[in-house]
Amino acid sequence: MPSPRFPIPQGTLDMLILQILSLEPAHGYGIAQRLEQISRSVVQVNQGSLYPALHRLQQKGWLRAEWKQSETGREAKFYALTAAGRRQLAIERDSWARLSGAVNLIFEEGGR
Amino acid sequence: MRLFNWFRRRSLERGLDRELQYHFDRRVTDLAATGIPESEARRRAAAELGLVREEVRDVWLTRWLRDFFYDLRFSGRSFLRSPAFTATTLLSLALGIGATTAIYSLVDQVILHALPVHEPERLVLMDWNADDLITGANGTFNLMPYPVCRALQQQTRILDGVFCRAEIQVNLTAAGDPRPVAAEIVSGNYFTVLGVPPALGRVIEPEDDAARGAGPVVVLSHDFWQAQFGGAADIVGSKVLVGSHPMTVIGVAAEGFRGVDVGAVPAFWMPTSMYADANLGADDLINSPTRWLQIIARLRPGVTPAQAQAGLQPWFAAWLQESTLRPGFPALSADRRRDYLASTLAVTSAPQGHSPLRRNLSQPLWLLLAATGVLLGLACLNVAGLFLARGSARGREIGTRLALGASRGRIGRQLLADSLLLAVAGGALGIALAPLAMRALLAFLPQDLAANAIRPSLSLNLLGFALAISLAAGLLSGIAPALQAGRDNIVNSLRERGGTGFGGVRLRKAIVTLQVAFSLILLIGAALFLRTLTGLLAKGPGFGTSGLLSFAIAPTQNGYSRADASRLVRRLDEQVRALPEAGSSGTARFAFLNGGAWSNRVTLQTDRRKVTDGAVNFNAVSPGFFATLGVRILAGRDFNTSDLRPVGEIGPRCAIVNQAFVKRYLADRDPLGIRIARGSLPNVVPDSVIVGVVADMSYRGLRDNSEQVFFPLFEHDDTGATFFIKVRGAPEQAIPSIRRLVRQDDPRLPILWFRTLDDQVNRSLTTERLLAALSGSFGALALLLSLIGLYGVMAFVVTRRTREIGIRLALGATGGSAIRLILCDAVIMIAAGMAIALPCAAALGKVVKSQLFGVAPTDPATVASAALVLAAGTLAAAFIPAWRASRVRATEALRLD
Repeated sequence: MPSPRFPIPQGTLDMLILQILSLEPAHGYGIAQRLEQISRSVVQVNQGSLYPALHRLQQKGWLRAEWKQSETGREAKFYALTAAGRRQLAIERDSWARLSGAVNLIFEEGGR
Repeated sequence: MRLFNWFRRRSLERGLDRELQYHFDRRVTDLAATGIPESEARRRAAAELGLVREEVRDVWLTRWLRDFFYDLRFSGRSFLRSPAFTATTLLSLALGIGATTAIYSLVDQVILHALPVHEPERLVLMDWNADDLITGANGTFNLMPYPVCRALQQQTRILDGVFCRAEIQVNLTAAGDPRPVAAEIVSGNYFTVLGVPPALGRVIEPEDDAARGAGPVVVLSHDFWQAQFGGAADIVGSKVLVGSHPMTVIGVAAEGFRGVDVGAVPAFWMPTSMYADANLGADDLINSPTRWLQIIARLRPGVTPAQAQAGLQPWFAAWLQESTLRPGFPALSADRRRDYLASTLAVTSAPQGHSPLRRNLSQPLWLLLAATGVLLGLACLNVAGLFLARGSARGREIGTRLALGASRGRIGRQLLADSLLLAVAGGALGIALAPLAMRALLAFLPQDLAANAIRPSLSLNLLGFALAISLAAGLLSGIAPALQAGRDNIVNSLRERGGTGFGGVRLRKAIVTLQVAFSLILLIGAALFLRTLTGLLAKGPGFGTSGLLSFAIAPTQNGYSRADASRLVRRLDEQVRALPEAGSSGTARFAFLNGGAWSNRVTLQTDRRKVTDGAVNFNAVSPGFFATLGVRILAGRDFNTSDLRPVGEIGPRCAIVNQAFVKRYLADRDPLGIRIARGSLPNVVPDSVIVGVVADMSYRGLRDNSEQVFFPLFEHDDTGATFFIKVRGAPEQAIPSIRRLVRQDDPRLPILWFRTLDDQVNRSLTTERLLAALSGSFGALALLLSLIGLYGVMAFVVTRRTREIGIRLALGATGGSAIRLILCDAVIMIAAGMAIALPCAAALGKVVKSQLFGVAPTDPATVASAALVLAAGTLAAAFIPAWRASRVRATEALRLD
């Protein structure tokens, strides 16, 4: 029985995808697997919501896609971060840090 | 752009398929590897992916847009399935949009279009609203004296530049024969104030205008340079003759610039310093108070015309005061002197320049635009009616969709897509039609204007207008059905029998009532304008026009002195009379029916001295003039050769007056023998004896029934003349011998024009013909549209009531009573429509009154005949369905269920 998991917070999925892709290009299933690893421990991600998010990010110009041979030998659509995507990741990481920092601060003050 | 995704959605779909397939296969493999049976793995993988495909599609196009595209495609398909419906609606919209666009293009070019110059919105026209008879202006063309322009140029606190200009007619000899052309005589800063650069060489500059005779130069218009010189690059520096004065071409003005008057396109510009060479008379026009040109100024940024007017007034009052002290200022009575000093300078915004044409054409054009607006509204109503009719046919489809869970918004959007698609298609068709309509319109305009100033082409501005009205039309015609769709009850629409369903009858009846009202208004307008045109044609100019040819010369434009010009005119008059083709001939100083006139007040000496209270029109004519035109002499005699004095000789003077003059000023006495003179000032001596009275004839135009006074021609002050020849046979055949005569006398003198009097009468009626023809065709179109609308709704009513009628017939009602039943419906609609239209027409009558002749806007006979035509047409349209109702077979009607 897995431990109870959070539903993924709204808007965080995009950030997670960008983060995963910042390490190396991956295809949809690969990303899904990485998400699965994360989600197994912490949050719950619906596999289906991945693809709309990927297409949305591509439309915004943060990802680019190309068909390449995957590790199984079949052609798969690989997503990679664009320069704009990299900038966006930095922005999101920064704002996440500020938000969580602020939340932490509030909790610490309250606990003192 | 997400919109583009719509067009590459096939390849996007294919890519998504492959991508998801890969995911699915890997997932199944991985799940199977953990020991789950393959069928279960497949089920779980498919469930995980769920509605991904839909969601991704929503990312490509936002959901709403995607659905709207599907709606559009659906609309397109359903339109193609009912071609008759589609053709009718498209044609209705295209006609309405095409007509409106064409008329708007005229309004735009004649009335609204700003001059193609630097910041035209800062231009203002200066006008001096003083008594013309004191200040010596002729007519109402905003004429001003040159010294005022000079003085205004010092008012730099308010004005950024002031120039003056006048339209002139001169004979230009460039290569080959001299030809009469229109030109502008302008002050030296004209081009700089307007901000018009040269296309070649240089423009006129202040040095060219510094002193009298300083600048014998001309700047050609781009169009004239292209047409006459083939755009030759070496034109700068070449010599041309203006009249008989050599001038140098110094440049070509920027392309597209055609002067500051829409109706008069100049071939070239010359500086005011050369006014003597433009044959504007021997007076010192630069320093005299003669009003002969228009003044246009550029306001300083941020200054409004009202502020400028207020700011200039103190200076102008001082200028007026000072002008009374100048030598030559007329002796005025105390009253008139006070009026003179109290007169003001009016400053009006003039981004479109100065245009008498605009004044003449603007009311008819606005009227026509309003009429096309009504027509377009009618077309929209028609389309709305057709939509409602289709809506009822589609009632079950829509009911089913509603029952299956489609939202009302969704259905409304579908109907919106329908009307939008239709509007855009109708608009495109209308835009395609518009240039044709414009070309047809140009045929109704004065030829010189049509050739020069108006272009039957689509501008961006015009396309925007057409698009805007198409969309408005689409929304207007789609909104009623969309609302109707939202209101109907699902259960009802599903329960009703096929073919009927979906109410909307009341709405459709309201629409038809409105259509009837609109049509009647247009029909009344058409009838009024038609009566005006036929009335004017029947009245005629007061003389027989058939077989009459006229031609004109202007020798002073070629450098003749007035005395020499008089001698030439007299010589030609005698020679023309002797031509074998000429039955009779006569000569007048001014042409008829072209809008202009020579006029002033008249001083009469009866038992006391008396001045006419209005201006009287003058002309100078030769003996035989009245006989040639067939104008009856009612009392006294025609001029004879003893009335003509040799040039320069003083002798007894005489005059002939017309009947209108006698009626107004000499009603109670014998006019013969009374002495009169032109002018109203105290120093005028009435010295011309009235020797004859003639019947009334038109002068300025056919509507004109003015008081007129004729003087003998050849009093050594002629600038030119128009000759009238009664030709035996076709008038045109005399043209070659006349040309020969004039060339023999002076090979360099051009003939300004040859015109038959029939043609002349026709030309003078252009506005009336434009109004009659267009309002007539609009009226006919409107009638047709409302007939279609009425027929449609009545046919629908009959179908709906088939059962009821069948029962009535089965119970013994006659066919006649069935007809009455249905017609009663139609009569109510028609009567209601007329009841709406009549007060509207009466109100609109006040607006069109000035365009009418011989008929009041509420003329009962005209209104009644228009109403009769409408009633007859609409009743006929309603009768067909009614007759069908009477033929309903009771058994069949009852079996319908």
